[in-house]
Amino acid sequence: MTAVQAALSGALIGGLYALMAAGLSVTWGALRVINLAHFGLILVGAYLTYQLTTAWGIDPVLTLLVSAPVLFVAGAALQWAYDRLNIVEFNSLLVSFGLLMITIELTTQVWTADFRHIDAGENPYGTSAVHLGSIALPISRLVALGFAVLLIGGGHLVLERTFAGRGLRAFAQDRTVAASFGIDHRRLGMVVGGLAGVSAAVAGMVFALGNTIAPAHAYEWFGTVFAVVILGGIGNLLGSLFAGLGVGAFSAVVAVLWDPSYEPFVLFLAIILALVLRPKGLFTRRAAA
Amino acid sequence: MRRRVLAAFAAIVMVASGAACSSKQESGGGGATDQSPIVVGSTLSLTGAFAATGLIHKIAGEQFVERLNAAGGLLGRKVEWTILDDQSDTAKVGPLYEQLITQNKVDLIMGPYATPNILAAMAVAERHGYVLPQHTAVLAPQLTYPCQFPAWSIGPTPNQFIPNLLFDAVATLPTPPKKVAVLTSQSGSAAFVTDGLGDDKTGVLTVAKERGLDVVVDRHYPPTTSDWAGMAAEVRDAKPDLVISNSLGVDTVNALNAMKQLGYTPPLVFSLFPAPGPLLGLGPASEGALSVSIFEPNKALVDKVGGDAQAIVDEFKTKATAASVAFPVFETQAAASWNAWEILASGVKAANSVDNKAVCDALHSKGADTTFSGHLAFDQKVNNFWPTTLGIKQIQNGEWVMVWPQDRAAAPIKAPTS
Amino acid sequence: MSVRKGLSILAGVALVLAVLAHFNTSLGIAPYLLVLATSVLFWVIQATSWNILSGYAGYFSFGQAAYVGVGAYSVAVLTGRHDVGYPVSILVGGLLGALLAAVTGAVAFRLGALRGEIFALLTLAVPFILAAFVRINRDIDGGLGTTLPLPDFPGWVGDFQHLIFLLMLLVATLAVGTALWVQGSRLGRGLNAIHDNEDAAEALGVPTFRYKMLAIVLSGALGGLGGALLAVRNGAVQPELVFTLTVPLFVIVMSVLGGRRHWAGPVVGAAFVTVLQDELAAQELDQWGNIILGAVLVLFVVAAPDGLFGRLRVRPWLTVGVFVPVLVGLLLSGQYTELDAILYAMVAAIVAALVVDRLRPAPGAVSSPAGHLEPSAAPTEGARPTEPPATRPAGAAPLADLPQPAPPPVPPVAQSPPGELVSVAGVTRDFGGVRALDDVSLSVSSGEIVGLVGPNGSGKTTLVNLLSGAMPPTRGTIAIGGRTTTGLAPHRVAHTGVARTYQIPKPFASMTVRDNVAMAVMFGRTGASLASAREAAVRHLATVRLEHLADALPDALNLHQRQLLEMARAIAAEPVVLLLDEALAGLNPAEIDDAVAVIRRIHAAGISIIIVEHLLRVLNQLATRIVVLDRGVLIADGEPATVLRDPAVVRAYLGRQRA
Repeated sequence: MTAVQAALSGALIGGLYALMAAGLSVTWGALRVINLAHFGLILVGAYLTYQLTTAWGIDPVLTLLVSAPVLFVAGAALQWAYDRLNIVEFNSLLVSFGLLMITIELTTQVWTADFRHIDAGENPYGTSAVHLGSIALPISRLVALGFAVLLIGGGHLVLERTFAGRGLRAFAQDRTVAASFGIDHRRLGMVVGGLAGVSAAVAGMVFALGNTIAPAHAYEWFGTVFAVVILGGIGNLLGSLFAGLGVGAFSAVVAVLWDPSYEPFVLFLAIILALVLRPKGLFTRRAAA
Repeated sequence: MRRRVLAAFAAIVMVASGAACSSKQESGGGGATDQSPIVVGSTLSLTGAFAATGLIHKIAGEQFVERLNAAGGLLGRKVEWTILDDQSDTAKVGPLYEQLITQNKVDLIMGPYATPNILAAMAVAERHGYVLPQHTAVLAPQLTYPCQFPAWSIGPTPNQFIPNLLFDAVATLPTPPKKVAVLTSQSGSAAFVTDGLGDDKTGVLTVAKERGLDVVVDRHYPPTTSDWAGMAAEVRDAKPDLVISNSLGVDTVNALNAMKQLGYTPPLVFSLFPAPGPLLGLGPASEGALSVSIFEPNKALVDKVGGDAQAIVDEFKTKATAASVAFPVFETQAAASWNAWEILASGVKAANSVDNKAVCDALHSKGADTTFSGHLAFDQKVNNFWPTTLGIKQIQNGEWVMVWPQDRAAAPIKAPTS
Repeated sequence: MSVRKGLSILAGVALVLAVLAHFNTSLGIAPYLLVLATSVLFWVIQATSWNILSGYAGYFSFGQAAYVGVGAYSVAVLTGRHDVGYPVSILVGGLLGALLAAVTGAVAFRLGALRGEIFALLTLAVPFILAAFVRINRDIDGGLGTTLPLPDFPGWVGDFQHLIFLLMLLVATLAVGTALWVQGSRLGRGLNAIHDNEDAAEALGVPTFRYKMLAIVLSGALGGLGGALLAVRNGAVQPELVFTLTVPLFVIVMSVLGGRRHWAGPVVGAAFVTVLQDELAAQELDQWGNIILGAVLVLFVVAAPDGLFGRLRVRPWLTVGVFVPVLVGLLLSGQYTELDAILYAMVAAIVAALVVDRLRPAPGAVSSPAGHLEPSAAPTEGARPTEPPATRPAGAAPLADLPQPAPPPVPPVAQSPPGELVSVAGVTRDFGGVRALDDVSLSVSSGEIVGLVGPNGSGKTTLVNLLSGAMPPTRGTIAIGGRTTTGLAPHRVAHTGVARTYQIPKPFASMTVRDNVAMAVMFGRTGASLASAREAAVRHLATVRLEHLADALPDALNLHQRQLLEMARAIAAEPVVLLLDEALAGLNPAEIDDAVAVIRRIHAAGISIIIVEHLLRVLNQLATRIVVLDRGVLIADGEPATVLRDPAVVRAYLGRQRA
């Protein structure tokens, strides 16, 4: 029973991993920008939620009304700059690492390096849960999963069903071809960057619901989030959702069945195994011969 | 061809010039008159993972130096403190202390924050023969440098002392706990208290068994843990009377949060080295939680300490609030910082010199006087760890209160409400 | 610069540094500079170690912390806990680093698909696994860390700081020397080709697996040695010391900022970033220190996307001319410490090089995203788009009739015995559930030009891939010159005398046209040094009439010229059989005539040719025989005229094509 509870909780927290990974994955896959600054945007999203909730007593989820537009603009502006300066791939890794450092230290200037935590009184989601018999499903994690499904599922439909989405996929495969079909990659790129920013706002909000925030957290997300992005297949939104849930559930079960100390050991060994067996990501469709 | 040779040369010159150019300035140090300030150097983690606590030590240290200078400084000289940011990166600590000693030519040094950093600083201090007062490393067996002076002592064997202290304290409850769950962070001193070190396997686990307690959960987790649901579910399902969280920082907060999310609040929880603020922020969920402390600004304790204690505590609160510290209270970390500075000041006064050898000898022979931990006598046989003044504190009505041992308690320990 | 000369200069510099450090007190060199130099050298070791695999071969690794960790823990466990001497534990650190690298490489490189991001994640996982392993096994560390004793060393060395500086210097010299040697060697050339296009490199005869293994093992050994010295310097080892993101991130920052293609790039990057960080820490800027570091990183990467070293080497006099006076001036002014002076002089030199480069692009500017050419390519750039096809009216006489110097004949190939050259027996190839080739048997004799035709998806390119060894058949055997090649690595197949071109040309983008061809000579059947390979390359370029573009970069070529480059590269390997995969696709009629003339010349030199082509008109003239595939099945094989009239062929292929 404990293992079932852990697996369910883990899968739900996987929604948070998926939210964090989705924005990174889509800019990497579609725009060839490995945007480490995305972690900075998530951090800012978390602090905005903390700040608005603590200072004005706004419901944490409603803080998205502020943080999502702010981070949309930030994400779009970032993409505009990357595009203007022709920064892609490994140079984007470097530039965005510089930007991440700046973001982390600026948040330290504003909120100090001290731990911040939305007090129980202002956070109706923090500690409540839905009970199904002896299984408890924490509200904050249901929120994480709900937003993940909503945002990632929606993004997936847009990519698959709309003209802009198909244009983006064409752009990812061949830039010149896409350009000749009249796709304005600049504007499209900025919209994608902006939407990645929105996903960062949501991820940050969800993180702030259930966790203590400190600037150094941005670095701690690297391992799990990169694993989710690559396991899901770069640029594959549904893949990152499934990979997020899978990584969350798997880690939790390992922690219960063996010991939490074995979790990184087993998780990353499993990731290597997965890469060796399915090098194109676990959730990519098998390419036709 | 020539272009490449030159380019390579240019590159190498950049590296080489580090060693190649001559020293122009002999600032500080030698030949100084008695009017020049005494310079103390240290690193602190002002950015990165340890920065939350690094900040407390910065504020406390600056406050101490200010007060010291207002009272005429040391040996009639002003004291200056040079703090470099080690960015919570252990690999940076050694070179920065080398820089402080050889480049800035500081007269004295103060320890950094966090055990790995203190060990790195100790290696440098030993090479240069500098006295190293340090706030927070309690791993007595590893701190082998004779001129290292701990400001926070849990005696020579914290791995025996803390479990016994805790179990003694909870044994006075009307229904003493029988089943304990132990969660241990695999970092720094936390694992030491659970499992001992090297051949000495004494720790919470063995002491609990000796005392006939039943360890129903024993989990070790990596410091990078982000999902606490699994451990929370195990603890909930094992129904312990006491959860011992041998952890650092906000781990206990996260674990309690995860338990609460599963609809469970443990009857009694002990947290080893928590960040005090966030734990209070949990509200009713953390009421009754226990931890260790060398000082809490409870009225009874402050009065007992006497002297400037109240003024120091109040002033710290003002400064920390101004620096937007979330929990601006002068408690264990700040008190340890204060102790460390008083050790350094006592040593210099006793030696009547800033010569590190003399200061080290003076501290060994005469000890140090501190505001919050009284007179400290350093025993070289146990790596200068002094008889501990560690007690148990408890959250009562949303405030940390010292509750054990009885002779230093501000209030009696309270039983779980449920 | 020859490798030997480079190594002797390096040894000289190391010696000078060692002497300066040894007599630092009498020379008045501040002891702290020794500490700083030790840090710089540590990062030089790590960045160079990283660059040997990730820079040269382009296999981006996030796992540098694994080698540092293995090295540091070798010292912690052997010396810290079991009293083994430092020399042994440091060497063991290097060995274990190499071993770990070998295991990682064996897993990653066995599978061709583990490239790019996948390789990066694989390497990212390794330090996480090692950190967890260390924390779980309390016998290693138990999460509490290990303190190390002060090492014993002879008195003449000086103090501990001298000792650790000398050790770091020794290993850094070894690392940079290794990188320098690799860069100038066949290994380095091969790694470079792998970086540009691994498939093409393998098909040309580069033993890619062996080279990547060599590179990763060298990288691991150097990283491990450096990690062991880090432990000695720090005096205590905990997981927090080594298994941090700082290590891989800063190693990448240093190497990419400095420049990844040259051994000196990581050296420049490590020196600059370390000194900058140190200076920022010394200024007591707290958070602002990191903000400035981040901003400098952004600015410099934007200004010099291919690395600072590339910009500095273009203007060496400017670099030295700014650096030295600024340094001396600042020092003499007495206002600045040595550290400030060094940093400001470095920044001045870099900014000067970048600004001057922007205002007046040097004739020898390295390629930038704007598309600058390599030095000697610039003059030809203007002529490039119109040369050669558009200089004459469309449909004009074949190229051979033009008043150009007649191309030299293709050097005759060692004559292979007459008779069967290529033998394909009962070959089947499945992809998942799809059968791309079904029981195909085929034989090609020397001297033939065999046209391979069929509708899209009929298995033509699959057959070419099987012949060149790029993939193994599911069933059946293939033999070249009587030697079975099934199961051989592509570079071994290449050495049996098979060369190929790609439908979409795959040139080595970072090398000139000449060097592209020289690669094939170097790694061909006979092998050659780079110098003689370059000479031979010009001959092969003359065969395809690209010699006037020998110094251009492939980016500057049009499609036709790239196809010709593919052919030149293929014949440079001195094959007995050449596989041309749609070498005429996308060309205009004049270009097609030109290409056909080139193919005839190649054939005249005694090379047998298998050509995949859609243009039956061309094949009708060119081929001695035509083989038709339809949905993986061989449906016709014979004289062009006969085959093209075969009703089955017309139905399967022509009919569908013309519908």
